[in-house]
Amino acid sequence: MHKVIVTAILCLATMIAAAQYPGYTLLADDAGFLSRFAATSQKTNTIKSDFVQEKNLSLLADKIVSKGKFWFKKENMVRMEYTSPFQYLMIINGSDLYVKDNQVENKISAKSNKLFQQINRVIVECVQGKALQGSDFTTRVFEGSSSFLAELTPINKNMKSLFKSINLIINKKDDAVSKIEMYEPSGDYTIISFINRELNTTLSDALFTIR
Amino acid sequence: MRCLLFVSCLLGITACSSAYQKMQKLNGDANCVEFFKPFFPRALYSASVNVVGKHLGGLLIIKAMPDSSIRMVFTNEVGFSFFDFGFKGDEFTVYHIIDQMDKKAVIKTLRKDFELILMQHIYAGSSYTLKNGSEYYRVFPHDGDYYYYVTDSACTKLIRMERGSRKKKVMEAITGDYTMGIPDTIGIKHNNFDFTIELKRIQDHAEQ
Repeated sequence: MHKVIVTAILCLATMIAAAQYPGYTLLADDAGFLSRFAATSQKTNTIKSDFVQEKNLSLLADKIVSKGKFWFKKENMVRMEYTSPFQYLMIINGSDLYVKDNQVENKISAKSNKLFQQINRVIVECVQGKALQGSDFTTRVFEGSSSFLAELTPINKNMKSLFKSINLIINKKDDAVSKIEMYEPSGDYTIISFINRELNTTLSDALFTIR
Repeated sequence: MRCLLFVSCLLGITACSSAYQKMQKLNGDANCVEFFKPFFPRALYSASVNVVGKHLGGLLIIKAMPDSSIRMVFTNEVGFSFFDFGFKGDEFTVYHIIDQMDKKAVIKTLRKDFELILMQHIYAGSSYTLKNGSEYYRVFPHDGDYYYYVTDSACTKLIRMERGSRKKKVMEAITGDYTMGIPDTIGIKHNNFDFTIELKRIQDHAEQ
């Protein structure tokens, strides 16, 4: 009798999980995927890509779409350059963060602005795939026809106040993150789609220099 | 950038504090300022906030909602929301604010600053007009605060806005370069502490 109930609950949970992400099925055993993804991440030294960011304001039924260029170089250097509809540059180099908007340049150290650091560290770790191996999130992996969806749910209170969950869409073709979906507790969410990706091209350190 | 310089210069020029009590009280109609009430069907701004030497950049979206309320959401460029406020007449709703900004004084200051810009209290029955040289202060008391809209004598030009007590100015704001009732630039400057907000309108997909 117990087995029947447990099986029924498991089936129901699987159905609910599947319904959550149409076209995706929950992977009962994600160990194989995680180790393969970790190995690919290990081999990814650089990423160069364009991106489209869509910030969805759920209650306003509105969105802000921005575009730009993205560069990543191992271990933890990121350059995000927004070009439309506003100019904004963000460089992460180790624990240092540099931002420049239309008017002001700002160098931010890890100690001086923890909020900025947390948000940006999450983005870097999501691109790298490190977020799947870290201790900040619990992970569930779903499989679709052409991609995997890794659902990250924050564990600690601080991270929970920033994100309800984060989904990484990982292409089956190259095991690289093609989309990051960040869901906030307010119901707003941001989707960053990486397009025209080039992996392991030569990128100069100068791109990530904080002057 | 030129617009923001204009905002900075104008706020600098008018930084000397007003002594409202010394001004001459007139019987003129203060409600003429209704003509200057901004209209925000939907406007996106690049925002630059400076507080005691710290800079915070981001995007501010202001949108008129079907229930006649006005929503204001401030996010950083990467997409993370700092706050989401709703204004409807005298009502004010905090839909969302990050823990780091969730302080009574911060919310109260932002609420009152934006209520001045949005002209939320210009229908107060006890409004009156003060004259100071060539400037006419259209005064709207509300909940112990005084909202001042400074115009020319004929009320054809809104020179600036101020908020304070009956005696002293607390902050001032200007709007400029209107397009279809939407200001392209908005500047806010506080007098009693180092706090400025500069907004410059961005044309994005929704407006092209």
